[in-house]
Amino acid sequence: MKPHVFAAVGLKKEFDDGRVQALRGVDFSIAQGEFVAITGPSGCGKTTLLQMLGALDFPSSGTLHYRGNSIPDLPEPAAYRAREIGIIFQAFNLLPTFTALENVQIPMFETDMRAAERKERAGLLLKSVGLAERRDHFPAKLSGGERQRVAIARSLANSPSVLLADEPTGNLDSENAHLILDLIIRLQREQNMTLVLVTHDSGIAQRASRVVHMKDGRIVSDLAT
Amino acid sequence: MTFFTIVVRGLLRRPVRTGLTLVGISIGIAAVVALVGISRGFEQSWAAGMKARGTDIVVSNMGSALAPKPFDASVRDRIASLPRVAATCAIFVDLTSIEDSSMMVVSAREWGGFSWKSLKLISGRMPHDAKEPAVVLGQTAAEVLKKKIGDPIQIEAKELFVVGIVNGGALVENGSVILSLPLFQEITGNEGKINIIDLRADPGMSEDDLKNLCAQINTLVPEARAMIAGEHVGNSQAYRFISAMSWGTSLLAVIVGVLGVMNTMLMTVFERKQEISILLAIGWKRARVIRMVLWESALLGLLGGIGGVMIGAVGVKVLETLPAIHGLLEPDLSTGLMLVSIVIAVAVGVISGIYPAWRSSRLTPSLAMQG
Ligand SMILES: Nc1ncnc2c1ncn2[C@@H]1O[C@H](COP(=O)(O)OP(=O)(O)OP(=O)(O)O)[C@@H](O)[C@H]1O
Ligand SMILES: [Mg+2]
Repeated sequence: MKPHVFAAVGLKKEFDDGRVQALRGVDFSIAQGEFVAITGPSGCGKTTLLQMLGALDFPSSGTLHYRGNSIPDLPEPAAYRAREIGIIFQAFNLLPTFTALENVQIPMFETDMRAAERKERAGLLLKSVGLAERRDHFPAKLSGGERQRVAIARSLANSPSVLLADEPTGNLDSENAHLILDLIIRLQREQNMTLVLVTHDSGIAQRASRVVHMKDGRIVSDLAT
Repeated sequence: MTFFTIVVRGLLRRPVRTGLTLVGISIGIAAVVALVGISRGFEQSWAAGMKARGTDIVVSNMGSALAPKPFDASVRDRIASLPRVAATCAIFVDLTSIEDSSMMVVSAREWGGFSWKSLKLISGRMPHDAKEPAVVLGQTAAEVLKKKIGDPIQIEAKELFVVGIVNGGALVENGSVILSLPLFQEITGNEGKINIIDLRADPGMSEDDLKNLCAQINTLVPEARAMIAGEHVGNSQAYRFISAMSWGTSLLAVIVGVLGVMNTMLMTVFERKQEISILLAIGWKRARVIRMVLWESALLGLLGGIGGVMIGAVGVKVLETLPAIHGLLEPDLSTGLMLVSIVIAVAVGVISGIYPAWRSSRLTPSLAMQG
């Protein structure tokens, strides 16, 4: 049996003093190297679940472990986010005042790399997403697909073992969506990362090794494809 | 790209706002430099004037006015008889406007007293005797009053003549109108009154000896206070008032600076909420975000401080050339004062950044994923 990367038991998340129950008891585990798609209607808790996995927020109750360590009890959640997790957002979330090359370097400030190493690595990462020529452009001068490729390069900055992607193609046309999805899947396989991807698109979900369907803060089906 | 690049980029994202904030801090720091520099310069140039006259101890009654209070001339005779006093010179100093120039130092000196000896004639001559209706002008005073030898000069109701132009070796001396004491007493109706006694002690006396002598004089003549030359200005109420005013005004300027920088930094944190949450989401520690905000704020302070010192120094130089002030001011623009001002500016930056930095660290990384 493969070791678990994530294991959740009875995971709940409430907002506004319990008036909103975003997760109502979620149990699952994810193994190393899996590509899990999470689907479900709007408001069912997909983003909330991803935030728990990335230690961007804390569960209200239940347990959530990363490779045997309780995520809510991590001594340094920032270090966990920096080293273990790469995040890809729907809205790209690049910093507007930094060039592509600089955006990719931002997460590397949490490592011991020297300035020259950071720059070199960021250049290589941009090359791997096919954007070597655009490295000195600011986000505003890039197309949506190009911005998402910069964001993907940034998510790989510190060689994470997990990629979390929340609707990574949601802001792109179908042609670009395919290119971006192919890129993410290629990089995930090449680097044997675990990929958890939230999507509305059943076509995208079919490419995953497993599809988790959620409704009202619960998992209603969990199928290998 | 280094961390410093990130800090600078933060300031450059709103160049106009950053520029206006810098102007604000600069003006505050310029006020500190100018006001403190002028009041300290005032003290120092008087001290230099005393040294130039060869004066060790000044006996005067620095009340609340800029010029000392008059007392009876007989005080001088009581002091002169003390042991270890080499020489004394009775003086009446007044700050008054002469003709159409404002505020000149008029220094009336005992005829034959040692305070005359340090004056070097540049042109013309010294008065012939104590009663000749004549003045000599320090170089700067001559320039300010636009007088040459032979010109008449109106002091109170009396018309006197400029007979010589002198170099007194110090700013205050060069800015003075100098005449004989009896003549001035007669003109101003202050017969038998003086307000300063310059005292020269026996050679070879230490600072402590001079202090002892001061103490002796103070018990002997309660009407006036003896102080080591130079210190007397710093101890005068008028000087203390000016000094307190300039520090007080500076403090206000600094507080305004703090509020300005704090406002700017709060605005930049609020409008960057999303960006800061992204930084946190992709792994930045809260401490690094705090450091980023504090460095931005400190850098604003540093740049504002450098700008302020430059504006302050130029401003003071311009003030010095104004006819109303020319010759009265020798501002202290020492590197010490400049450094202190820049340190104050950086402190302003750091202090103003604390609250915005704390606010930035309260942001949550989950905000980055909520679209
Ligand atoms: N910070 C918050 N405060 C209050 N309620 C929240 C917060 N974040 C999420 N919620 C609520 O929790 C529920 C789940 O939200 P979540 O963002 O996880 O849904 P989602 O499945 O990602 O939806 P979508 O497909 O529209 O992105 C929603 O009802 C949402 O309004
Ligand atoms: Mg969502």
